[in-house]
Amino acid sequence: MTLELKKLADYKDIMERCIRCSMCKWIPQVQIKSWKYAQVCPSIDEYNFHAYSGGGRMIIALSLLTERIGYSEELLNIVYRCTACGACAVSCKYLNDLEPLEVIEALRKKIVEDGEGPLPAHKKYMKLTEEVHNPYGEEPSKRLDWLPSDIKVSKNSKLAYFVGCTTSYRRKEIAIATARIFNKAGVEFQLLGEDEFCCGSPILRAGGEAQVLDLIKRNIKAFKERGIETIVTSCAGCYSTLKADYPRYVKHDFKILHTSELLEQLLKEGKLKLKKEVPLTVTYHDPCHLGRCSEPYKEWHGEIMEPIPLVRFPVPPLPLRQGTYGCYYPPRNVLKAIPGLKLVEMERIKEYAYCCGAGGGVKAAFPDFALKTAGRRLEEAIDTGADTLVSCCPFCATNLQDAIKANNAPIKFYDLTELVLKAMED
Amino acid sequence: MIKDNEYEALEKIVGSQNISREPVILDTYAFQWCAELLNVINDKPPARYYLRPAAVILPSSTEEIQQIVRVCNKYGLKFKAFSTGLGPWNCVSTPRTIQIDLRRMNKIVKIDTKNQYAVVEPYVSGAQLQAEVMKFGLNCHMPGAGPQVSPLASATSMAGPGFTSASTGFAGRNVLGVEWVLPSGDLLQLGALGQKNDPDWFTGDGPGPSLRGIMRGFVGAKSGLGIFTKVAVKLYPFPSKPEWKISGESPNYKFEIPNYLKFYIINYKDWDALTNALRRFEEEEISFMCYYASRGAICASFANSREEMFSYYSIHTRLKRPLTLMIGAQTEREFEYKKKIVEGLIQETGGKDYTKKIKIRDVSYAEALRCLLGFHGFLITGCFQSTHGGMDTIEMAIRMAKLNAPIKRKFIEKGGIADDQGEGVWLATYERGHMAHCEMPTMYDATKPESVVGWVEYAHACDELDLKEHLGIPFFIEGDKQHEWYGPHCMNYHIWLRKIKEAFDPQNIADPGFYITSKKTS
Amino acid sequence: MTDLQAKLIEIVGEQNVFKDEDVLETYYKRYADNFLVKSPIKPKLVVKVKKKEDIQEILKLANAQNFSVVPVSSKAVDPNASDAPHSENTIILDLTEMNQVLIVDRKNRMCMIEPGVSFGQLFPIVKKEGLRLLTPLLPACNKSVVTTALEREPITIPRYQWDSSDPLLCTEVVFGTGDLFRTGSAAGPGTIEEQRASGQAQKNPLGPTQFDPFRIIQGAQGTIGIVTWISLKCELLPDTRKILYVQAEKLENLLDFLYTLLKRRFGDELFIVNNLNLASLIRETSAEITKLKGKLSPWTLIIGLGGRQPYGQAKLEFLEAELNDIAKEQGIQLLNEIENISNEDVIKIFDNCTKNPWKLRYLGGSQDIFFLTTLDKTPRFIDTFNKIVESTQFSKDDIGVYIQPLVQGCNCHCEFNIYYNPSDTNIKQKARELFEKASIQLMDQGAFFSRPYGIWAEEMYKRVSPVVVDSLQKVKAIFDPKNVLNRGALCFKEESA
Ligand SMILES: Cc1cc2nc3c(=O)[nH]c(=O)nc-3n(C[C@H](O)[C@H](O)[C@H](O)COP(=O)(O)OP(=O)(O)OC[C@H]3O[C@@H](n4cnc5c(N)ncnc54)[C@H](O)[C@@H]3O)c2cc1C
Ligand code: SF4
Ligand code: SF4
Repeated sequence: MTLELKKLADYKDIMERCIRCSMCKWIPQVQIKSWKYAQVCPSIDEYNFHAYSGGGRMIIALSLLTERIGYSEELLNIVYRCTACGACAVSCKYLNDLEPLEVIEALRKKIVEDGEGPLPAHKKYMKLTEEVHNPYGEEPSKRLDWLPSDIKVSKNSKLAYFVGCTTSYRRKEIAIATARIFNKAGVEFQLLGEDEFCCGSPILRAGGEAQVLDLIKRNIKAFKERGIETIVTSCAGCYSTLKADYPRYVKHDFKILHTSELLEQLLKEGKLKLKKEVPLTVTYHDPCHLGRCSEPYKEWHGEIMEPIPLVRFPVPPLPLRQGTYGCYYPPRNVLKAIPGLKLVEMERIKEYAYCCGAGGGVKAAFPDFALKTAGRRLEEAIDTGADTLVSCCPFCATNLQDAIKANNAPIKFYDLTELVLKAMED
Repeated sequence: MIKDNEYEALEKIVGSQNISREPVILDTYAFQWCAELLNVINDKPPARYYLRPAAVILPSSTEEIQQIVRVCNKYGLKFKAFSTGLGPWNCVSTPRTIQIDLRRMNKIVKIDTKNQYAVVEPYVSGAQLQAEVMKFGLNCHMPGAGPQVSPLASATSMAGPGFTSASTGFAGRNVLGVEWVLPSGDLLQLGALGQKNDPDWFTGDGPGPSLRGIMRGFVGAKSGLGIFTKVAVKLYPFPSKPEWKISGESPNYKFEIPNYLKFYIINYKDWDALTNALRRFEEEEISFMCYYASRGAICASFANSREEMFSYYSIHTRLKRPLTLMIGAQTEREFEYKKKIVEGLIQETGGKDYTKKIKIRDVSYAEALRCLLGFHGFLITGCFQSTHGGMDTIEMAIRMAKLNAPIKRKFIEKGGIADDQGEGVWLATYERGHMAHCEMPTMYDATKPESVVGWVEYAHACDELDLKEHLGIPFFIEGDKQHEWYGPHCMNYHIWLRKIKEAFDPQNIADPGFYITSKKTS
Repeated sequence: MTDLQAKLIEIVGEQNVFKDEDVLETYYKRYADNFLVKSPIKPKLVVKVKKKEDIQEILKLANAQNFSVVPVSSKAVDPNASDAPHSENTIILDLTEMNQVLIVDRKNRMCMIEPGVSFGQLFPIVKKEGLRLLTPLLPACNKSVVTTALEREPITIPRYQWDSSDPLLCTEVVFGTGDLFRTGSAAGPGTIEEQRASGQAQKNPLGPTQFDPFRIIQGAQGTIGIVTWISLKCELLPDTRKILYVQAEKLENLLDFLYTLLKRRFGDELFIVNNLNLASLIRETSAEITKLKGKLSPWTLIIGLGGRQPYGQAKLEFLEAELNDIAKEQGIQLLNEIENISNEDVIKIFDNCTKNPWKLRYLGGSQDIFFLTTLDKTPRFIDTFNKIVESTQFSKDDIGVYIQPLVQGCNCHCEFNIYYNPSDTNIKQKARELFEKASIQLMDQGAFFSRPYGIWAEEMYKRVSPVVVDSLQKVKAIFDPKNVLNRGALCFKEESA
């Protein structure tokens, strides 16, 4: 879909064209390799009514827009019991061109605009973000609490390590590992410290468009003021927000990199050397927002022609975000470079990876649902025979580790950076 | 509307999280592919929504379904089942109808690898079943609707042509044992499953007459006579080495074409040559797939974007009556043998091999195996629905295609339906050419009232053509109005069908909207 | 003359209504001695019909006057006594002279025949057109083709049986009510002539629309309707043939190989017989049979291969090579010939009928027990059966076994033939005892008697869920509400009239 931002009403045509085929409940059909791991939507997996699928939410949006239904508690619950993982959109667009995820996001924005939402848990973190610049309500002054004294930070570097709220306050081990790797590989970086505000992702996913616009403007200004050209983040949410969402509101020319991309580059350049054996069998979980959701939106200026009456044909072709260009290989390539480490894949990977269950405001509003989804993902990880689950996102890390604890699951979790650090240590 | 006590009785069976009467949920069951056609057919405006069910319920077992049906009987509620739920025939036809969404019944109960059948619940999809049975070198029949739909629904309740029908038959003929909740709530087990000693799934007929005879017919009773909870479907040999290696990212998947599989597009100069070719290829019993799809449909099914489809334009103009063939083999020797026969038959039938010119992508092989070719229709047109559907001989099917073209062109000129030069046809052979069916996928715009009305008018003309030219009974002759129209032309079958409904469901507890109504209701 | 007789004469003419004791006796004799018939009942009258209108009239009369009608289409004696009346007040409707071959259609691989058409009559006609029939193993020449299809008798080529109903396609039928109906695509729109002009050939058995009445008529032993013609699926007659064999001491040793062939859809004729049955199929006299039997392994799997010009030779070469590879892989010895049996001997039993019913060749009498099961379960049933043979002290040398995979391998027909000398009352009694005991024990063990004739019916319907019986009775009440068709058969007892 295009860079241009749209209102829910602009998607009416798309909503009306849903064929209710249910492709959005499954991974792309040609990828199905088993009964067990064929489904892709965490929401309908948990709640079962069609309303809980990508297609179902398009129908709800259409019903609301056309006033067949009004707001209700049930409606809000359904709309927000969705991790905005975008898997539905990838599956739909394998052979169709509808945009269930965009409709879900536009629907949430409308709900907020109409003053009917979001849910209390979202409102709470939105308010906290407003006040203390992070959704956890932590003190801005403590943002760098994770930073060990031996880490070298280069204040004037054009490269910033955008740590992100979750990493800064909740998954400090990732920040530490990242910073140490950078130091060891000779990557100079600056930190924004108190000047680092939330990227806006949680607000955006909950539909808080007005609030997020302010944040975006503010953040871009801050980046510019600090002379930043490249932003590296170890958080998938920050990554896709900065890379894919920001330009829809404010165009920018910062280079956005995920740590895995930078690490891959360093490996290629020989600046990063992984020598130490890490004898683990690992499986890699693709964070939705590092993978399919990070694909940038493209501009489109064209028109819908009807070369054959009634058959619509956009000229030039409409750019579709089909999950084709997500960041899938850098983390894998980095893992493969670790000596002694064996990478085994789950069935649902890359653009059709199953969500960890935390995103889209779900962890805040429906923690049980989030945990159950993570449990499903864990089962898949364990089925590969791996002893270790690896990912690249502090939010996935939190939810998956919560599930490991809750289920007493026989698998360990590491962030990619942690393993890289292990392989570097002498 | 459903009353509180009625709702509570149902809620007790499945728990509050598995039942709903919230409009926000009900609306997602009223919205359906082609619901707008249904509205127009029933003299309503062409909305994308049909009726809302009174409630939606999600049972998890046969026992729960029996209880639900009994509650419906007790309170005079109706029910309408659905499995994967694609299509207007899933819509409830009266307001006090409970939609029974069978999504939670999703198990593959058994795969009998020796006796080549699998027992499935309603919400197992074709792709799931295929993925599991191919581990044993087996394959399953899937309807042209695609691999995301339910093999149980297709086998027990709904039509059944598929792209691989030449070698995997017709869904309604692949049925073995059946577990069936009757409109009374009683559990009927067909065939050997019904016996008390060592019940098993390997046959659904007898003792004595086969009750499959009242189960579905050619097009399926569409939940009009109860709910099927499990079915044993015949399996078929996987056509090639059962390997599935796919890489790349959507939509640019790369499929490692397994040994030994080969597509052919063979062009014929006219209908007669095509008729002969379809027959000859099938007589030699070599195909995995063998069908006629119009040249436009071929371009669509091998393209994964509109642009790609239009890039085939020059091929499109050169193709006349193309036959699509796929052969598969387990060994090099079998492959060589089959290829040799194909070459011989191309010569013998005067065909021209266009396979190389179409440049069939490797992933099209995966899509062919997984029955995804038909879905490309949506990619191109946004929406389509077929008319006709009669099934008998290849010759009849071809005749239907020929006779339909001028009628379709007339309606294209009128402007309701999209222009395919009257040619949009899918004609599949069954069981090695013993039968063939023909349908005319017809593009329209579901969001434009005049187009929806145009489709309905055109479809009516198609139904009339079938009556006048004796081209079999179309797929969508269902519901009282249609049956009462066609019945008198077809041995008054509707009288007998109604008697079945009256014997098993006098009060119309199973929604008769897509079946036939009992007139015995008090 | 009774009133009934007069009315029947009015319908079919005097020459077609028989009340003479000796005529009734001939019909009676067909089933009187059959072990499946508990207390044989003599028909009141025999009526020969040739026209469907007459059948309609007769059934209307039966409804009005409350008598039972049992249709008979074969001149051959039915080994399963499906023509035995179950009710005192029964007339036989003899359809043997309704024997037109209405259509033979090479292009569409079908023929349309009336119920009296026999195998002896039909084989040469279809062969001339290059077609082959899908038939039971070496049927009697005077047997009705229609009834074998209607009774779901097993066919010898499993890969051509896509649905259990094959080779039956469409039917024209007079229901018990006297109403005429056509099933499948034959229902319309249009008359048969109009349909044929439109390119149709009554090939689609399904429907019309949302029910499959042909499946209710099939397997009904004439209790739902009287069929006046059927369309029958045919295949192309091979011009090149080859027979291959696998012999085994134990049945189990044949099954994996057979399963592989079924899965690959290799082999036309494909079945297993024990040595006595193989000898009975190949030789014509008791002495020859005994002699040959002694030289055969206990079990033989017969694999018929066939091909047609211009690709027949290539096909056979490819098939043989594949079969050899599979055999080698599985450690199976695939034989081109069995000692003492020539390929011609075997080919003769395919696409052919016999005037000397093969099951009567050995001792003159045979009673069959058969049921559906799966191949992997057959050894268990054979074991059970053998134990009963032992316990009843019946000669184990006089037992035939025939295992016929069906429906492309999804299930199989398992048949035991109890051979006996009908004039030896002692042996006959033992045979009967074995028959009765084995039938029950096999049923108890889960043998699915899908075609429950005679005394099997009551036993079988006791062993299925009451919902099945209730549903069948509901169906019966629709198509034959007064229970005039073969009253008392299956689960349609006299009192339900
Ligand atoms: C592109 C396209 C191509 C198509 N091509 C074909 C084709 O080639 N062949 C073909 O057969 N169809 C085809 N169809 C139609 C298709 O069959 C149906 O859309 C599809 O099979 C229905 O899907 P389903 O499996 O989801 O069944 P459902 O929609 O779940 O059910 C189908 C019907 O059966 C009833 N039903 C479902 N489950 C049960 C049950 N357990 N008990 C009782 N009743 C039940 C439902 O009420 C409904 O009326 C096509 C559709 C599309 C969109
Ligand atoms: S959103 Fe897309 S995939 Fe889902 S039902 Fe609608 S058209 Fe199908
Ligand atoms: S975004 Fe994810 S959770 Fe939400 S509907 Fe789509 S697949 Fe389901």
